[in-house]
Amino acid sequence: MVAHAQRSPFDHAPCFEDMTSSLQSTARQPKGMLKETREVVALARKFKEEVMRPITLSMDRQMQKDPEYLPWEFVRKANEWGFYTLWVPRIFGGKGYNSPSMSYFLEELGSECLGLSNLIGVHYLAVVTMFATFNIRLINKLLREVEDGQKTGIPCLLSLAITEPGAGTDVEEVELVDKGNVGCQATKVEGGYLINGSKIFISSGHVSRWHIVICYEDLKNPSDTMLVLPVKTGSKGFSFGRKEHKMGVKICPASELNFEDCFVPDDLVLMNKEQNQKNRRNNKQTNSQMIDYVVSTSRAGVSAWGTGAARGAFENALDFAINTEVNGKRLVNHEWAQAMLAEMYKNVAISRLSYVETNYANGLCGLYKTIQFKPLFYYFKIVPKIVIDYIIRPIINLPVTTWVFRKIQLDGQTDAQFHRTSGWASLAKFTGTDAGVKNCQMALEIMGQAGLRQDRRAEKILRDSKLLQIYEGTNQLNRINLFKCLAAQGHSQVRVFEHE
Amino acid sequence: MISRSEIKSYLSKEPLFDDMTCSLKATTRQPAAMIKETRKIIELARRFNKEVIEPYALELDRTMQKDPDYLPWEFVKKANEWGFFTLWIPKIFGGHGYNIPSLSYFMEETGSACLGLSNLICVHYLAVSTIFASWNLSLISKLCRLVAQGEKTGVPCLLSTAITEPGAGTDVEEVELVDRGKVACSATKVEGGYLINGSKVFISSGHVSQWHMVICYTDLKKPSENMIILAVETGSKGFSFGRVEHKMGVKGCPASELIFDNCFVPDDLVLLSRDHTGKQKRGVKETCGQILDYVLASSRAGVSAWGAGAARGAYETALDFALTTEVNGKTLANHEWAQSMLAEMYKNVCIARLTYIETNYANGMYGLFKTIQMKPLFYYFKYMPMILLDKFAPMILNLASTTWLFRKIQLDWQSDPEFHRTAGWGSLAKFTGTDMGMKNCQMALEIMGQSGLRQDRRAEKILRDSKLLQIFEGTNQLNRLNLFKCLVAKNNPMIKVFEKE
Amino acid sequence: MLSEKETTIIALEEDVVEFTETKPTPPAPKKEAKSVDVKDVKIAAKKTAPRTSKKELTMLAKAASEFAKKMLAPNREENDKYPFGPFFEDALEKAFGVDFFHIILPEDMNGMNQGMSALSVTLDNICQEDSSLGGILFTNAAAQELMIQAGSKAELERICSKETVRDFLIALPVFNNPSEVKHLAQAKKTGDAYTLSGSLEYMVLGDLAGQAIIPASIAGSTRYSYFLVDLKDKGISKSEPILSLGLHACPAVDLELNHVKATLIGQEGKGSDYFEKMADRLHVAAASMALGVMKGSFKEAFDYAKKREQGGHEIINWSEVKMILSNMAIKISNAEMIIEKACKAVDTLEAKWETRSRAAALHIQDMACDLTTDGIQLLGGVGYMKDFGQEKRFRDAKHIQALLGITPIKKITFIENMI
Ligand SMILES: Cc1cc2nc3c(=O)[nH]c(=O)nc-3n(C[C@H](O)[C@H](O)[C@H](O)COP(=O)(O)OP(=O)(O)OC[C@H]3O[C@@H](n4cnc5c(N)ncnc54)[C@H](O)[C@@H]3O)c2cc1C
Ligand SMILES: Cc1cc2nc3c(=O)[nH]c(=O)nc-3n(C[C@H](O)[C@H](O)[C@H](O)COP(=O)(O)OP(=O)(O)OC[C@H]3O[C@@H](n4cnc5c(N)ncnc54)[C@H](O)[C@@H]3O)c2cc1C
Repeated sequence: MVAHAQRSPFDHAPCFEDMTSSLQSTARQPKGMLKETREVVALARKFKEEVMRPITLSMDRQMQKDPEYLPWEFVRKANEWGFYTLWVPRIFGGKGYNSPSMSYFLEELGSECLGLSNLIGVHYLAVVTMFATFNIRLINKLLREVEDGQKTGIPCLLSLAITEPGAGTDVEEVELVDKGNVGCQATKVEGGYLINGSKIFISSGHVSRWHIVICYEDLKNPSDTMLVLPVKTGSKGFSFGRKEHKMGVKICPASELNFEDCFVPDDLVLMNKEQNQKNRRNNKQTNSQMIDYVVSTSRAGVSAWGTGAARGAFENALDFAINTEVNGKRLVNHEWAQAMLAEMYKNVAISRLSYVETNYANGLCGLYKTIQFKPLFYYFKIVPKIVIDYIIRPIINLPVTTWVFRKIQLDGQTDAQFHRTSGWASLAKFTGTDAGVKNCQMALEIMGQAGLRQDRRAEKILRDSKLLQIYEGTNQLNRINLFKCLAAQGHSQVRVFEHE
Repeated sequence: MISRSEIKSYLSKEPLFDDMTCSLKATTRQPAAMIKETRKIIELARRFNKEVIEPYALELDRTMQKDPDYLPWEFVKKANEWGFFTLWIPKIFGGHGYNIPSLSYFMEETGSACLGLSNLICVHYLAVSTIFASWNLSLISKLCRLVAQGEKTGVPCLLSTAITEPGAGTDVEEVELVDRGKVACSATKVEGGYLINGSKVFISSGHVSQWHMVICYTDLKKPSENMIILAVETGSKGFSFGRVEHKMGVKGCPASELIFDNCFVPDDLVLLSRDHTGKQKRGVKETCGQILDYVLASSRAGVSAWGAGAARGAYETALDFALTTEVNGKTLANHEWAQSMLAEMYKNVCIARLTYIETNYANGMYGLFKTIQMKPLFYYFKYMPMILLDKFAPMILNLASTTWLFRKIQLDWQSDPEFHRTAGWGSLAKFTGTDMGMKNCQMALEIMGQSGLRQDRRAEKILRDSKLLQIFEGTNQLNRLNLFKCLVAKNNPMIKVFEKE
Repeated sequence: MLSEKETTIIALEEDVVEFTETKPTPPAPKKEAKSVDVKDVKIAAKKTAPRTSKKELTMLAKAASEFAKKMLAPNREENDKYPFGPFFEDALEKAFGVDFFHIILPEDMNGMNQGMSALSVTLDNICQEDSSLGGILFTNAAAQELMIQAGSKAELERICSKETVRDFLIALPVFNNPSEVKHLAQAKKTGDAYTLSGSLEYMVLGDLAGQAIIPASIAGSTRYSYFLVDLKDKGISKSEPILSLGLHACPAVDLELNHVKATLIGQEGKGSDYFEKMADRLHVAAASMALGVMKGSFKEAFDYAKKREQGGHEIINWSEVKMILSNMAIKISNAEMIIEKACKAVDTLEAKWETRSRAAALHIQDMACDLTTDGIQLLGGVGYMKDFGQEKRFRDAKHIQALLGITPIKKITFIENMI
């Protein structure tokens, strides 16, 4: 019926793939993911009820009284429940649940407390950063420590350190970093690197064992000399600075990390220029691709938190509306309140759709591509532990494994795919988090004075949710990134981040 | 880690896992061939946009401003030639049998070029889904085959749906309200059929349709239990067209008044009456509600797709303007503030799209498309040669037992949560998509300054057009309340919707 | 209806407000007031309070602004720690000393005998630095206004003769309209005396003030009444200060009342009337608080954007940042115009002055919530930290929006009053 014209109609934006990630996942995405997701959501709900709910408010209160408190107890609890390894692939000692299910998990937990939920989720921000380097040997090394941490009951968390005092937005975006004031430097010395400088606002910093530090060999040319180095708490030359006093998400520390001639040996280098030389793209492009791999997944997660915040606010307001009489009638039976609650429900739903869609894209052409490839998915799911320990582990440590993964994931990803995942992640990030704040605002409007009291929860969710619009790239940055990745494609005259 | 019974109990708490994860489930269930079909449909739509709609949209809008009584027959014939009036009719009924969710993508595509022309094609399917929701298979077959014949002969046979009355707009969209409303279109039982009296207003494509699916009531005092759906053909005695409305936008598609004056409809053109609804598991009123919701859950996904289309049309117009206009010595698209606004607009398009897609997943698993998207049936119909279908299908379809069976499956076997899920999502998509459409138009005009004001630059037309979407298929306010009823209140006895205030 | 004389006074005073810039200050109205009797004072307080010339307003604004910069700004972060840090006793006493709590009181109670213009200008300037004190001023003024409306002059006079600020302050549940959500105590009448029992939520200033105004229902009556109680009464138990979203140093407590001696304010069953009359006037003051917060937030963001460098230059050079700043500035400019107009309407009892006052609050409070979230946003990560006060302004703006009742209901009521 459709005659094949010379030019495909899909030459015009939006291309079919940009529009239809969920549809295209039909039959391609392993069915087992549905079952896993069911389990994960149920588990999250259980954890929320049994562990989080009893402490959510008291922890927030505790932090207002004593901002220096560190939530070790909760971290240990989460460790006991196995949350720091749940989404680590089985070949690296984890439980190997599919990554998209983590977003649902973050929504569930986030709807109860974003702070506690951050204490679990930002660990995976660091995990994902390691993954994006595809340095399989080192990934294995660090994740095995996480596994041990779970077994021994001494939590081993990871944090990710990018932001610096002089460079926040600038270090989220390769186009900007060369113009920025970066100050965290790695100098090559015999057998390794010396880091000098500091990082700020690092989530979970004070409670993490390893810190995945992004720094630069040449501060004048950071985009081309980026390095990813893991630093262990307790290393010589590494220390914690102040812990920020924040408006919300109080329970999850935002830490300053200070480096003073802190030595990192060569065999801990996750990624540097030398390693990148073997890739198809040049160093700068690879760095950019790597950052986009990270943010394409982590921003879906932040969107899920936005969804969670939106949902927490909605549920709180609904509960209030059901239990409060206004002008002699239950509030929930006032039509205006129903309309507002419907709007809030919708905000939750569209945020969810945005992160779900982003994860479909990540599965089809992003970070999860290999691992959600059906044969591999099922293989890793059922392969016995013995085989992993005795056969797969030695293979993992071979340089060739890293080479293969980088070939598939870095070189094998087309620009269009890379734009799709990155653009959608930005879309999800600002959509979900805007909805989160919006719903909190509405909840407080509906609840009147009850909305102002910490013991009624709504005000806490508002304070917490505001963070989401700021980190992982401010929502402003994410809009520009969406524009760059999805709207500006094919228009060569478009420039982003030009000096104005 | 967690026991099976625990999983079950946690997932049945609000929000229900199934309410949250339609796409996740659908991707494991729906036939993979839908991807390819959808691709084809979008290609086709884009070609049609380029060849037919784009060259004509502004001109027709202009013509209509000059001569508001003009009827766009030419375009209807063109669309008929392209096969659009049968493309989504199942093969057993003589159509091409494309999967119905792909219709929404089609509506987005064509809607992004012109909502008026897209309406002229697609409100036909509003009527098609109305007849489908009655599950009266012999009559479905009869009407659909007339449409197919119209395609063959080149004399278009369109269908319209007539619900709205002068005194009852919102009220007839919602069973809870209809008994309080001022409905006036009555059907009186007479020997061998019914007599319709009264009038319907705002009926899209009315003047250019051959058949009208008229919803009226055998007892005006208790319409919720006495709803009847009758098929009336243009030219029937006692049936006439009244005025064509002079609208702000969507001018290409007439909104017609239908007048019934002792218009006789024989029994065999009754799609649904109390005789049928009374036989189902649910009460008469609930069954009527269910049928309305079947229609609306799918048609509202379509309106949402139009919202996405309007949002996209506005976005594309603004982007185009930004790429080709210099402001303060620099291409507008390179001003960061404009990039940020365009990104917001792009997002609005995507959000609108995601909502109608998700609704269609729900419809595919729990709603109107459930049977037809069951893999065995889907592939059976897809690959069954047309000749065989044409020959045997009518025979089977005319059996009363087939209708009975389908009603059993689709009406009685749909559980309350399923019915709430599809109806609630339909409303969610409807107001989200159409709000996004309006929002983007507003933004486009802000960006474009005086260019945004001129009809020949398109943006102002899209704004005029898109406003309609917030009004029809239930105003957005009504849809918010319906979402609330279906997805929030559910069956909580403490919560009352549409209570007198 | 106003008498002819009164109308002329109003008309004259309109001139005063409008034209004093070029005219010498008119004779201070205070002197006139002294010679008239009690009844006239009441009229003056209710109807012809707006004796504030532009010049006086400017002076008041300046005083408030200087006070805020000196007494509030330096310790903003510290003061916000309450109840986990010390209370800003000093600031409160100073504010009392310079009569900020006397603005709307009639002259014979040592008041300034001013109208909403004066109260608003004060609140605006205070809230630019720290709206907690604004909250205290507002609550107290609302309580005073309520008593004025109820004609409880003797009681008010007694209270206003108190020496210390704590004894002087009156607590009031100022975030709830008791006829909407029925947070009411139960009143019992024995002879001429009343006692109150039951619980009462979110009594603002409950742990600071010497007395509180409590809405309560008298058994058998569907309408509520207001009572004055001594907060030192043994029958009252107070919760810890309630940890809340914003206005941390304007704390509220929950009260339990057990046969507490109470004085009726005004007449039985008239609580709702007094509340609405008070709210008619005080809404515009609430709007001014929101305006103050907006100005503070904008200034901080504007200054920061001119200093912070990202992408190789000060972020104010990014046009998206300009756009956000511009939207903030436009809101403020509009809010200023609205409030000026609304204050004048209230003070001169222009037609529909009640509507003006309420509309100003509803709109400006909305704007403040939008503006302050941008205020954080422009500072990025540090906006979220305590250091720059932006996060506090964001919280305070939302908190202020809830003054005098649930926002959507205030809106519904607004239109219902027109139907
Ligand atoms: C609680 C918390 C936890 C965090 N956790 C981590 C963590 O674990 N690891 C980590 O590395 N970082 C973390 N961050 C840092 C976070 O990612 C940064 O705060 C964020 O990227 C913004 O950077 P900034 O704060 O320096 O803001 P700035 O970059 O200074 O931005 C200030 C304002 O200017 C705007 N702006 C800047 N550049 C542009 C431009 N080119 N165009 C338009 N507008 C622009 C921004 O949108 C913003 O509104 C955390 C931050 C917080 C608050
Ligand atoms: C161009 C056009 C094409 C159309 N095509 C068709 C068609 O093909 N077939 C068809 O049957 N109909 C059609 N309609 C009718 C459309 O569905 C109705 O206009 C719509 O349902 C609204 O009804 P109304 O116009 O009578 O508005 P009303 O019902 O009178 O509503 C007026 C306002 O009151 C509000 N309102 C009403 N009831 C409530 C309530 N209970 N709670 C809160 N708010 C309420 C509404 O939201 C709205 O804002 C069309 C309309 C137009 C304009």
